[in-house]
Order: sequence, then structure tokens, then C-alpha cells
Amino acid sequence: MSRARVRLLQALSIAVLLVGWEGIARGGWVDPLFVPAPSAVVRAFGRVGAPALAGLGDTLVKTAIAYVLSVVLGVAGGILIGSVQAVRQAVNPFVIALYGMPKILVLPWIVLLLGFGSAPAVVYGTIHGLFPILVLVTGAVRDVDRGLLTVARAFGARRWQLYWKVVLPAIVPTVLAGMRLGVVFCLLGVLIVEMFAGVRGMGYVMSSLANGFQAPELFAATALVSTASIVIVVSLDALNERLSHWRGDVR
Amino acid sequence: MTVAVIRAGLLLAVLAAWEIAGRLGNPLLYVPPSAAVPALVRLLGLQSYPDLGEHLLLTLREIVAAYGLAVMAGVACGFALGSSRLLGRAYGPLLAALYAVPAVVWYPSLMLFFGLDAASKIAFGFLLGFFPITLAVLAGIRQVNPQLVTVARAFGASRATVFRTVMLPSMLFTLVGGLRTGLALSVIGVIVGEVLGSKAGMGSLLNHAYGLFRTADYVALVLVTLVLIVGSDAAASVLEHRARRWTE
Repeated sequence: MSRARVRLLQALSIAVLLVGWEGIARGGWVDPLFVPAPSAVVRAFGRVGAPALAGLGDTLVKTAIAYVLSVVLGVAGGILIGSVQAVRQAVNPFVIALYGMPKILVLPWIVLLLGFGSAPAVVYGTIHGLFPILVLVTGAVRDVDRGLLTVARAFGARRWQLYWKVVLPAIVPTVLAGMRLGVVFCLLGVLIVEMFAGVRGMGYVMSSLANGFQAPELFAATALVSTASIVIVVSLDALNERLSHWRGDVR
Repeated sequence: MTVAVIRAGLLLAVLAAWEIAGRLGNPLLYVPPSAAVPALVRLLGLQSYPDLGEHLLLTLREIVAAYGLAVMAGVACGFALGSSRLLGRAYGPLLAALYAVPAVVWYPSLMLFFGLDAASKIAFGFLLGFFPITLAVLAGIRQVNPQLVTVARAFGASRATVFRTVMLPSMLFTLVGGLRTGLALSVIGVIVGEVLGSKAGMGSLLNHAYGLFRTADYVALVLVTLVLIVGSDAAASVLEHRARRWTE
């Protein structure tokens, strides 16, 4: 059960998949109008590369804004709701209910309200990314070790010192986990808005390619945005891994 | 008691603020609760959308098909990957990488391939439900204590008996949670698919009302769809509690 065998099996499976797909497409088993051969997809990169990259850049900028908003609002809200018992008891059930509610239902209304621009994408992406972070941080703040707080208070820590020196360091792992979770949700929200009512961005590029029956270009664009998203998540994971060392020192 | 009062007060305050904002604002954009209730009555009385029943039924059928396929494929894939260490180590990370991609990127391709009808919604709902179910089966199998399996086998239990008496009870907790998440995601997938492009179903009605600025009808449709979603999750939650009681 060596690592090499696992890698070999992975590479082999992907190769078999691609070759089999190419064979099926060339053999005329599927209509190339809907399922293009991998070689056709590769050629399509040349044609669709420039507009798709521009669209991806646009999408990623909106995602980044939505992400910053989600993290800031999620962490701040989580600390407020988690640390003040009265607020938590009053507000938390509503937060959980909103978290569970499918956001797609309010999408048409948000577009109605904000029009066809970047604003609905940023707002909708923020709504998607905010709730998982908010819920996670609320739980982490609530579960901060009471002993630490009591000791800090006994030694005369002020309120801001409690938050800065005890609560914040204790919730760092959860904030990082929430940030890892939230980024995919933000990208999801932005892409959905662009597909629903976009005039720019990757989601718009993809839905217009689908409407134009440009399957090779659509597959190429899909591969591009998937790769971008995997790279973002993997690098956040790597960052998490690096910080876990430092995290261990803090706790 | 007091907490309940505060929560009810908060809810009332939000509703009151919504009412005031709705009356002050543009009626095409804001629907106060006092306008939403009559719209809901008209919708349920089949006045605003006489074919509401058919659309509701279609969405339900799409959800059932998508979730059924997701459960079958997810459980099968999960067990296949969980039964062999090599397969699990090779394909597990590939699945996790695919899970890191926001699923909606696959939707245009599915729509191109399956068309605007129910098939593309079923395919998307299937795709969303499939991942959490597969990953839950995988995680559940990892929770089974291999020593218990070995001992049971040594005492002559058949594979089926081992599965029923040893493996299932120890993985059920995780498995049932995954099945519930899978249902919620299949439901969302079907509705997202319908909103992004369809000719029938609740999502198409939502789009229709939105496109014609029939905002009050839109709010009523959202409420009806919400009942469908919350109802399916409540049913799943009842089954989840049953299954968990059975393991204890």
C-alpha cells in the first residue's frame, strides 16, 4: 500500500477516463454538440481563454469582496452573539433558521432590488459565506473555557483584554475552519447570481456558452473555474496547516 | 419563558419594521406582510396560478428522483471506496477535490446535455446530494472498530450478520446525518436548477412572478416553497431521531 501505488492508480484512472471519453466521442456514441471530446475541449481553450480569464478575474474580485465582508461580519457577529448570553438566547434560533433556509428563494428579490451589476453578486455571495462562519464562531465563543475567563478576571483583566487576550486566541482555529468553508460558499453565491442575472463574470460567460450550444468552450470554461476553486481551497488548507503550528503555541 | 417572550417580540418587531418599510417603499420591490397574506390566500385559492398543483407535484417528483438516485449511487460508491484501502486512498482525495468546487459550475453543462426539462434538475439535485452521502458512508465505515468485525467473523458470523449487527449500528449515526444533509442539498439543487432555467416547477413560477414584477405573488410562492423545503427536512429529522434511538 505504498504512496506510489495510490498515485499510480489516480493517474491511471484519470488517463483511462480521458482516453475512454475521447474514444466514445470520436466513435460517435454521443452527439459532439453536447459532449465534446477532450481534444476538442483543449483546442477550445485557445478560443475561449481570453474572455473566460477576464470573466474569471471579474468573478474572483466580487468573490474576494464578498469573502472579506463575510469573514468580518461573521467573526464580529459571532463574537457578539456568542459572548452576550441575552443576545444569544434571543437571536440564535433566528440565525440557525436563516442558515438553514435555501438562499436561492431570495435571489430574484435581491436582483430586483439591486439590479444587474456587481452589487447583487457581492451581496448574495456574502449571504452565502456569512452564515457558516457566523454559526461556527458563535459556537466557539460560547464554548471558550470558563476557567480561563475566570482566572483572567480574577487577575484584573479589563473587558477588552478578555476579548483580545482570551477569546480571540481561543477561537482562531474555528475562524480558520470557517474561512476555509466560507470561500467556496462565496464563490458559489457569486456564480449563481452571474448565471441568473449577470452581464459579466464567469457565471455569465458559462451560461451564454451553454445557451449558444458551444459545448467545447463551455467545458473549457468549467475546467478553468473548477481549477481556480480547487487551487484556492488547497492553498487555504496549506495556510491552515502552517498556522496550526502557531495555533498550538497559543492554546 | 422570558426568552420566548423576547424572541416573539423580536419577530414581531422585524415584521412591524418590514410592514412600515414595505408601505413606505416602492410596492414593486417591497411587499409588507399585510399584502403578502392576501397574495398567499389568492395563490392557495388557485387564483393567481391555477396550475400551482402541477408545478408543485413536478418539483416534488424531481426531488424524489434526484434524492433516490443520490442515495443509491452515494451508498454504493461509499461502500466501494470504504471496503478497500487502496480505492479509498486513491479516489477519496479526488472526491474531496471535486467537493471543493462550487457545484453550480456543473449546471450549464448539465443543462446543455439534459435540456431545459426535468432531467437537468434531477441531474443537478443528484450531484448535490451524492457527495455528502458518499462522504458520510466513507466516514461511517472508518468509525467501525475493525477488531469487532474480526471477532464476529472469528465466531462464525456471516458477512450479512456482521454488517447488520456490527457495522451498521456503529456507522448509523454518521450515515443518517449524511442522508439528511443529502436530502437538503438535493432539494436545493432541484430548486436552484429550476430558478436558473426551466419551463415548469416551483422555480419557474418564482421566475415568472419575478419577471413580471408580481412581487406579492413571488413572496407567496416563496412561502409555499419554503413549506415544501422545511417539511422535507422535518420528515428527515424524524427519521434521523428514530434511527439514532434504534442504535442505542
